[in-house]
Amino acid sequence: MTEDDSQKPKDFAERLRALRGATQGETDSVGRGRGTPQTPAGWVFRLSVELVAGLVVGGGIGWFLDRWLDTKPAMLLIFFALGAAAGMLNVIRAAKEMNRDLGGSDGK
Amino acid sequence: MAESHSPLDVFKIDRLVHLCLGGSVDPESGRCASGLDASFTNSSLLMVIVLVGVTAFFLLGMQQRALVPSRWQSMAELSYEFIANMIRENVGPEARRYFPFIFTLFMFILFCNLLGLIPYSFTVTSHIIVTFAMAIVVFIGITIIGFVRHGAHFLKLFVPSGVPVFLLPLMVVIEVLSYLTRPISLSVRLFANMMAGHTMLQVFGGFVVSLGVLGGWAPLAFIVALTGLEFGIAFLQAYVFAILTCIYLNDAVNLHH
Repeated sequence: MTEDDSQKPKDFAERLRALRGATQGETDSVGRGRGTPQTPAGWVFRLSVELVAGLVVGGGIGWFLDRWLDTKPAMLLIFFALGAAAGMLNVIRAAKEMNRDLGGSDGK
Repeated sequence: MAESHSPLDVFKIDRLVHLCLGGSVDPESGRCASGLDASFTNSSLLMVIVLVGVTAFFLLGMQQRALVPSRWQSMAELSYEFIANMIRENVGPEARRYFPFIFTLFMFILFCNLLGLIPYSFTVTSHIIVTFAMAIVVFIGITIIGFVRHGAHFLKLFVPSGVPVFLLPLMVVIEVLSYLTRPISLSVRLFANMMAGHTMLQVFGGFVVSLGVLGGWAPLAFIVALTGLEFGIAFLQAYVFAILTCIYLNDAVNLHH
């Protein structure tokens, strides 16, 4: 540490600013960095949660609309199916992300 | 034989200080018969401890402000850099103004998870109402940010590109539903991981007792391994919650899917 004493804190601030500027340009183009790095078990869990969450949200909205509009099973049935579709959409998106993380093709 | 414990006893909420807002207390159970039950529970106590712990971690860690950091200061700086980089990589440099919120969220969840691993403590994040409250705050906040930054253009998020016109109404409904699943999947993921881990620890703890001195060593060894795994999960789930918040924020700030 004796030889490095010439670099005072003031220099450090300047160097930090220079470095920040350098990395800033680098990251400007990055809109979306790495996703969630996960273990296989983590992916299994994530995909199943996405699927079930779609059903829960769709079913919940349908049930609520039924109670509100008094159309008993109709809305629940419709929104349950739509929720399932939304869940699958989420699963496909998550799977694309997984593909990208694992270095495969983007699927597009 | 000792009294039998349910493995789910660790998740029980105990009221430490009874507090009933605008209602009457039922004299038999000591609970609120009407009005808002705002009792100070063991869950609230742990949250207060977490807040004090996080504050102390940073205040004491950054006290010296050495150029060559001590181990503690280095830990505080490490966590700062970690979240700052995460936001920069996932959302971009202009999202730095949201750093305090995401950093607070991350440290709160991390400390909740880690302090919950201490024996006889309580895991706040193993209750879905806690994680759901955090997720819904993130969800509503990000939706507001999206509308403030882009106005009505934010609704384009729900219109997928390259879809035939006659399918569009259906797709928009599905996209909106898919957007609405975000708080659910965000909260369920954290809650289920914490709850499953702690239930498993409890169940194997019960095996140690019931198998006795002869057979109890195998589950005990398993508990040790599982505790190590739980430390990893405690960190990973806090990280996942923060990074998913970043990814959702990216949709609202930069508006592309």
